[in-house]
Amino acid sequence: MKKEGLRRHLLWTLVVLLALGLWPLGGWHTLLVCRVLGFAFLFAMVTVAWNLVALSGLISLGHAAYFGLGAYAAALLDHYSGAQVPVTLAVAGLSAAAYGAVLAVAFQRLRAASYALATLASVEIPKVIADNWESFTFGSLGLVGTRPLPTISVAGFAVDLSHNIMGQYYFLMTFLAVACAIHALAIHSRWGWALRAVREDERAAAVLGVDVFATRFTATVLSAALTGVCGGLYAHLMGMTEPDLVFNLHISAMPLVFAILGGRFRWYGPAAGALVLYSVDQLVLHPWLPAGHAAVYGLVIMVILLFFPKGIGSWPAPRS
Amino acid sequence: MWFQLLLNTLSLGSFYALVALGFSLIFGVTHTFNLAHGELIVLSGYMAYGLSKAWQAPFALTLPLCMAAMACLGQVLLALVRRIREPFELSSLVFTFGLALVIQNAMLFLFTADYRRIPASGKPLRLTADLIVTRNQLWLIGLSLAATALVYLMLRKTFLGMALRAVIQEREAARLAGIRVERMNRIAFAVGGALIGLAGPLFGQNAYLHPAGGMEATLIAVVITLFAGTGRIRGLLAGAWLLALLESAAALWLGSNWRELVSAGILIALLMWKPEGLLARKKPAPEL
Amino acid sequence: MRGVPASRLAAVLVLLAVLCMGQSAAFASEIRIGEINPLTGKLANHGQEIHLGIQAAVDEANEAGGIEGRKVALLTRDDQSRPEVAVSQAEDLILRQKVAALVGGYVDSLVGPLSQLALRHEIPYVASASLQTHLTREGNNPYFFRISHLSGLVEPLCGFVTEALQARSAALLHAATPGATELSRELFKCLKKAGADLPLVEKFQPGTPDFSPFVLKLKASPPDVLLVAGFFQDHLILARQIRELGAPIKAYIGPWGVAYPSFVQEMGRAAEHLFGLSAWNPGMAVPGTEEASDAFTERFRRVYKKEPTTTVMHGYTSARVLLHAVGRVLREGRPLRGSEIARALRTIDLLLPMERVAFDTKGDPLHYRQVVVQIQDGALVPVYPPERAQGTWIYPMAPAASNP
Repeated sequence: MKKEGLRRHLLWTLVVLLALGLWPLGGWHTLLVCRVLGFAFLFAMVTVAWNLVALSGLISLGHAAYFGLGAYAAALLDHYSGAQVPVTLAVAGLSAAAYGAVLAVAFQRLRAASYALATLASVEIPKVIADNWESFTFGSLGLVGTRPLPTISVAGFAVDLSHNIMGQYYFLMTFLAVACAIHALAIHSRWGWALRAVREDERAAAVLGVDVFATRFTATVLSAALTGVCGGLYAHLMGMTEPDLVFNLHISAMPLVFAILGGRFRWYGPAAGALVLYSVDQLVLHPWLPAGHAAVYGLVIMVILLFFPKGIGSWPAPRS
Repeated sequence: MWFQLLLNTLSLGSFYALVALGFSLIFGVTHTFNLAHGELIVLSGYMAYGLSKAWQAPFALTLPLCMAAMACLGQVLLALVRRIREPFELSSLVFTFGLALVIQNAMLFLFTADYRRIPASGKPLRLTADLIVTRNQLWLIGLSLAATALVYLMLRKTFLGMALRAVIQEREAARLAGIRVERMNRIAFAVGGALIGLAGPLFGQNAYLHPAGGMEATLIAVVITLFAGTGRIRGLLAGAWLLALLESAAALWLGSNWRELVSAGILIALLMWKPEGLLARKKPAPEL
Repeated sequence: MRGVPASRLAAVLVLLAVLCMGQSAAFASEIRIGEINPLTGKLANHGQEIHLGIQAAVDEANEAGGIEGRKVALLTRDDQSRPEVAVSQAEDLILRQKVAALVGGYVDSLVGPLSQLALRHEIPYVASASLQTHLTREGNNPYFFRISHLSGLVEPLCGFVTEALQARSAALLHAATPGATELSRELFKCLKKAGADLPLVEKFQPGTPDFSPFVLKLKASPPDVLLVAGFFQDHLILARQIRELGAPIKAYIGPWGVAYPSFVQEMGRAAEHLFGLSAWNPGMAVPGTEEASDAFTERFRRVYKKEPTTTVMHGYTSARVLLHAVGRVLREGRPLRGSEIARALRTIDLLLPMERVAFDTKGDPLHYRQVVVQIQDGALVPVYPPERAQGTWIYPMAPAASNP
């Protein structure tokens, strides 16, 4: 990247980060925007997590499995043991990571379309179990009454994360920042180069001494863990978990759309795609066309793909 | 009862195969991962519904009309996806996802959110004391066999088919060999569109028509196509029957709630055993 | 700007221009009511019916000169059947559009988060078609009201099967959704208590394209009654396959999705003698409201060019209740605040065509009862309970062979 381009790139990043960071202090309809962006942060985190696997050259259509497992793990732990939220979130991440590890081992020979189909089918297994194990997961009734996010104290101030929307906003933003940092590492670090080598040419990567399986395994498990944490957050935010809600195809398709429209090969691309598209949909399209917003949303997707084939994240930077 | 179960499975599998045929052909030749497939099927179903309600068109007449209309629409779709740049498969997937949303909501606006059904073609026939076959099932089994056979013969026995197969197997090599890939794309979208047009009225007769009902059809098409391996036309029918048989057996013995688990589990097992697709010879799975 | 081609810039400008259109300004004199419903996706048919019912109530009020001379503005939003969307959109209505109250809602999983949001912002929420019991059981939410509940379905249904039909065995099939599962569970309990035999209880994923294995099982050991807690589209497939394969059951009961004129229209003769549940239909009003009911039916058909259904009536009833409470607050000269409207709602007692609306302390309706109807010669005939019946039921239903 040329020097001038780099400078402008940094400038843009700074402007966006400042705007996101300072918005709650007095932006337009602060509460509403914070609420919507809070959800956008959550889905951006799923998108970033999804892209970790995509960076290793595998397209997953089954991230709803990790999301749902995380949601169920958090909700069940909350219901049966009343554990604190940090514990439920950690268990949510761990259980999703465990499933991710199993899938990474089981699907290690699968590539491309076969991998996509296998992951698509892998959602059904936890879903049907959650749906039918009535004595433990309450079956199709789902779990209700999951406790909301707790009150934490930051620098002497008590912040109620469930009622203080701004607190919730910064809380979720922190999670996204961590996910983005991992994602940046997956692009720019030594491990990132290994991922890239695996993505471009597995055989050549292996010859160069990259452990193909280990690289993909790490990416998948990390991605699953992050997605599981998102599921856990969702369970606490909504206060309920139902099989069809958290194991929904929608959850699997969303990160793919966001990531590709945002640009998959920049550290901020997937997050930018999710934030822009989700908030435009919720804040502009829904109020404007209550019954026809989805059609415009579809048009926006088509237009972006035709005019920004590398994603909206590629726009501010000059073409190389 | 067993014969009845087999017959129902056969017709369900034929239904799956018909829904998947157009997707498989378009994906195989042009690598367009068309997520708007189901929406186009539903659109064709609405067309048949409108024809039969407005002009009392007989069911058999709606089929060629829908096929012609959808073949034309296929060309429009091709003109759109041609503008998509690399990586083509993934971008086309997201592009058609957007297109599916547009078509779905346009249908919601045009045809309202009411559920519709194309009426059955006539009384069920009683073959033996407890073996009943409905006209719908006859249509399904007959048409899916005929369509599969025709596509198979076209691909295997004609010069055009040879060119199409060459494109399916090795796109760049086919181009170097002088095959006009652009033209093959147009033909694939025309034939694939016609197959979508054929599936629509049958979809409306055996399931129901609803603007948001296309997703299920797309899922069926994706699963069966990738399951059988692209470009495997006979394999498609066999794969569809097998899947229908497994689902029905699971629903019968374990209960309807286990149906999805059994089909997903077996799908995963088969994919792990033969990653290239069930009936494909050794050949890498198509890029995504 | 170097490096950014004009076409991209133009595309962005066009997009921005498209996105920034709309957004009307608020009028201080208007009474603003917010509505959340599934307007797109699988549930759009019922969501739009509820919406039309609410719209009808608002139009009616405006035609009569508004509420105490103030016009009513209805702001509608889609929830896409996802709770996070419902919450965001409701918050948009409350914070940006400054609505005085919320109404609508079809899916229980969305009504729960919405009721919590109503409590937080102290805005009353009248749910149009919420059923599940846990929503009002836990906690105390003085801002949540609903005009329907599950026992209003279970009691007449169970009474009909055990007392009127005196069925000895029943099969239960339900969709894997929370509402359908709870309904099926309650029916199971009450049928067991009445001593009925339940040989077959099954669950299916919504959207299943084929029920024939289940029908074959029914055929092997036919129960007297089949209860199907599924939705419109599931009945379209299942009822057809039962007819085609000739499963010899004596009654087919679909609490949801059967008692609709559009169901009869799509199914034709195959819908004959099926049972459904309905809270209201044209010509089937709560005693004492026949005139109002007929006026509503006539007006609805004329203005919206559609046949009103029980779902439309749920939307209409919820909006009528809310507008009535708003009117009372204004008449008493109180400020139009959430707490005042909620207070007026708690003491409401209003006779409407669907039910006499009054709420208990939890916000549940006191008098909600559905009626069992049977499709006879293409018409929806109320048959049970006796005080609302207009005909007698046909049982067992005509065998499949006589149906084309």
